[in-house]
Amino acid sequence: MGIVRPTSTDGVSLQSVDWTVATGELWVLAGVQGAGKTALLETLAGLIPAAAGEVRVFGRRVDASGDDDAGLRETRRRLGLVFDGRGRLFSALSVAENILLPWCYHQNRSHAEALAELEPLIRHLQLESLLSRMPASLSRSWSRRVALARCLVLKPDLLLLDNPLAGLDAVHLRWWRGFLTEALAGHPLLGGDPLAIVASADAVRPYGGLDPRFALVAGGHWRILSDIEAVLAATGEEGFRDPTEPRP
Amino acid sequence: MEASPPPLRNVGPTQGSDEGLGLLGALLEEWRNLTRLGAFILITLATAARRHRDNSQVMRPQVLGEIHRCGVRLLPIVGFLGVILGVVFVGQTVSLMEQFGAGPFTGTLIVTVFLREMAPMIAGLLVLARVGTASVVELGTARALGEVEALEVLGIDPIHYLVVPRVVGFAAAVMSLSAYLVLISLVSGYAFAYARGLKASPIEFFTQIAGAMSLLDFPLWVFKTLLFGALTGWVICYQGLARPMTLEEVGPATTRTVAVCVVGCLMLDALFITVYLIL
Repeated sequence: MGIVRPTSTDGVSLQSVDWTVATGELWVLAGVQGAGKTALLETLAGLIPAAAGEVRVFGRRVDASGDDDAGLRETRRRLGLVFDGRGRLFSALSVAENILLPWCYHQNRSHAEALAELEPLIRHLQLESLLSRMPASLSRSWSRRVALARCLVLKPDLLLLDNPLAGLDAVHLRWWRGFLTEALAGHPLLGGDPLAIVASADAVRPYGGLDPRFALVAGGHWRILSDIEAVLAATGEEGFRDPTEPRP
Repeated sequence: MEASPPPLRNVGPTQGSDEGLGLLGALLEEWRNLTRLGAFILITLATAARRHRDNSQVMRPQVLGEIHRCGVRLLPIVGFLGVILGVVFVGQTVSLMEQFGAGPFTGTLIVTVFLREMAPMIAGLLVLARVGTASVVELGTARALGEVEALEVLGIDPIHYLVVPRVVGFAAAVMSLSAYLVLISLVSGYAFAYARGLKASPIEFFTQIAGAMSLLDFPLWVFKTLLFGALTGWVICYQGLARPMTLEEVGPATTRTVAVCVVGCLMLDALFITVYLIL
């Protein structure tokens, strides 16, 4: 997967991104809020057209609509994006309908068939008791997990997570770290093969021990850093801030 | 290399970008919005034609749900309106025509004014008021909260999933409700006129109405009511979905939808009058 270098800085939040993600890798995009992490993930998912250059996922452009809509949809199906915050669940649908909709749509199967087929995954994500509830009644942490389930039913090969560990309590944080570990190793409920995962983060400490690779998004630029210590050094021990500003 | 944006971002309505140009700017803006609405309608038609058999397990309940919401649930109020309209318009017209000795022209008057013009317009306005406004709020909120992007990321075409069922639902609802409105109004109107001393039997009354209709009336009437409903559905989806929106813009989008739908249906009506005159 590569994002070829944008050539203009006019209205461009991030430039010179040239990057490849391999299967089984966890990448953490570190940066302060507003640095352009979400924009980068949404560009990768084909939601925002690149200002210049091109975005290829699985060798196919994801930002071009037109002739091959079916091919574009298939590429998007192999790519899962979990949005920041509450995960942008469909507010008019129940939790069960939210989770099952993509699978029913792409497999052309009924709700009951989908529920029978996907019950093990739902149970694995500990969501079985929430199925009849509406998204508005869920806490932020559970909403995000439902949004993850909605992505996982399509068994994506590449998972894009926008700030997934932000604001979680210890129980949810432990669960997410466990999930990341098993997804990177390959889990039968997720198709068996290791996933490639890209997660944005405004705090990288929760990723310690997961052996991720780090990239820093700051000041409109992108650079790969060697380890968590380098990220902390680049962003400040006390938390993230714009590294282009002089340190106090 | 410049990337092309997805269709939903390309066709949304715009406002006030020609401030300072006065009337000319406003007209230019309206023309642009009209062409974008046209593009949106063409995209919807192309999607419906290309994918009408796809994803039936999800799409069939969606379409049936919209027909139920726009049509079946409005049947009681259409029944009530039909009785009132029958008394107020049909019954009084029949009675007055009879009193003035113009009884033989009653059928022509009712067919021309009520059946062709009033009933489809009233059914269309009713569906717009009861379901259309709620749909704009629903779609606009989903747009503002980023749910449409969530659909796109999941490989679900928002035009296919959100727009096509609504357009089909609104079209079917306006056509069916217009038919019910006409039937109920004619029955209640006859009952009122009979109570006021009309001498014609029900068979004579309905034969006179049927005699005032031409064969072309049936297909044209069906086409017109379907078009009223479809146009309402298109405008609703266009205003609610076709451009990025904030929650504050949902209210103005709703009122704009009502205005555009009313003006659009009246213009369509004028077009159909021309067709009737030619035929």
